[in-house]
Amino acid sequence: MDDTAGTRPAEAARRLTMRTIDCHGRSVRDINVELKTAIGSGERDVRLVNPDARHNLAVAVLTDARITIDGPVGYYCGGMSDGVRLTVRGSAGWGVAECLLSGEVVVEGNAGNGAAASIRGGTVVVKGDAAARAGIAMKGGLLVIGGDCGYMTGFMMQRGRIVVCRNGGPALADSMYEGVVFVGGEIAELGNDAVVSDATAEELAEIHATLERYGVKGPDAFRKVASGRKLWNYDTKEREAWKAAL
Amino acid sequence: MRRQKTVIAMCGIVGYLDTSRGSRPIGTTLLAMLTALDRRGPDSAGVAVWGEGVDGFTVRVALPDGDELAAHGTRVVRRARELARVSGVVAHGPLLTFDIGKVDAHELVAALERDGAAEVVSLGHRLAIVKQVGAPRNLDTEFGIGKLAGSHGLGHTRLSTESRVDLSHSQPFWAHGTPDLAVVHNGHITNYHRLRRRYEQDGVRFYTENDSEVIGVYLGRKLAAGATLHEAMRDSVRELDGSFSYLAATGDTFGFAKDPYCLKPLIVAETPDAVAIANEEIALHAVLGNGYRAREAGAAEVATWTTPPARGRQKRRAA
Repeated sequence: MDDTAGTRPAEAARRLTMRTIDCHGRSVRDINVELKTAIGSGERDVRLVNPDARHNLAVAVLTDARITIDGPVGYYCGGMSDGVRLTVRGSAGWGVAECLLSGEVVVEGNAGNGAAASIRGGTVVVKGDAAARAGIAMKGGLLVIGGDCGYMTGFMMQRGRIVVCRNGGPALADSMYEGVVFVGGEIAELGNDAVVSDATAEELAEIHATLERYGVKGPDAFRKVASGRKLWNYDTKEREAWKAAL
Repeated sequence: MRRQKTVIAMCGIVGYLDTSRGSRPIGTTLLAMLTALDRRGPDSAGVAVWGEGVDGFTVRVALPDGDELAAHGTRVVRRARELARVSGVVAHGPLLTFDIGKVDAHELVAALERDGAAEVVSLGHRLAIVKQVGAPRNLDTEFGIGKLAGSHGLGHTRLSTESRVDLSHSQPFWAHGTPDLAVVHNGHITNYHRLRRRYEQDGVRFYTENDSEVIGVYLGRKLAAGATLHEAMRDSVRELDGSFSYLAATGDTFGFAKDPYCLKPLIVAETPDAVAIANEEIALHAVLGNGYRAREAGAAEVATWTTPPARGRQKRRAA
């Protein structure tokens, strides 16, 4: 069967030259060893087929190799990577791209809890919804969510940006240090010490350019959620604010 | 040097509602889902299946350990026959299954369990629970669950973290006293002891030291007070404390609930032919192939589907 049928010519040509690894019936260790071996021998464009929602695929890839996974993946896909250009043509489980240092991870479906948690750099794009604790403890980088985000998105974020094109879940941006969360839809509930303002024209232009780059549809306007900085330092006069946060 | 095998996850739960009424036995589907999750817990495994049903009840009892299984079995069947007509008696090790005509469920359970003669594992018009100590793959070789037919079912594979490993502590749990209600759970109910003390003061008997058992008791009491299963599950996400994803079903309702802090995974997929739920997508992929879109359940989310035997897409409720 010609699986290039129906794709654009450039993509079809790319598929003909890229290395393909069939995951069917194989262990995660076996698949990752073949992937790392292929990249180590100079392959720049690798495709994984039949991932069948396995965990830990394509973790700790430390080059800018391009990896395409055709199907759903389980936990921690692409985690701890530095420079990878990874696309998941399906949904992803918990902790996709966790601790990414640089590079780009795109999930074309929905993502489970903890998407892009603790990333230090790079870009993570979830074209569908991201579940609870997306982008928690981010220390840099960009997380784009094409749909809704779940409970406690951005919790204790330290640096970086999150863009949510639709609705924000409960406890949004709770106890952040720095970093900002942009929300295009409704916010179910703000987290502790989260402050809302309108995004500036410059910020909106940057958001729309990013969305266009990744083919994600978003609204015209976004609100900006940032830290009110009241929890940065303990103040005995504001004990009630700390009790509420803790 | 031998490499140690390390188990790092706990408890797999699965649920499947067949809205197409297809020809594939639901037992086969549940087995495939559980097998995909078997590394989450090798201690025990089981399934609950809601089949076509009987006028009275289908009853499954566990007989006491020991050398006198046949004598125990004979005594239990004799007690059942004193209450109504009994048919289809099948013994499988310590498990005894039979159908009984119309009878009061509480009176039947009290008679069968009197003097510790047996423990009723499941009872319902449609419900049948099969469970055992050991990994899911043994369920088919030991009990032939692959042939079980029905509209919907639940499955569980357990990693014991607190209470002991035996048949009683295996899941699914039938909600004792409530025909056709069963539950599978992943997580910990941290206000279990407080709830249990309160219920025991009301005369409720607990059969295990497993915190998951309290969910069925909680839901059963809500149903007895007039709530629907959806309403009971909606209340549970506020009144149960801890980390939990659980699935519950009766003869006519199937659904899931997730704790307000999203501490346990639960992945849901709806297709025109089925609703499939599990705590890892790998179990959904095992039975749905590529024809679905998975999503993680949200904070304190409860969703139920009605499961009438009629063909067609089922009505969904969400909160």
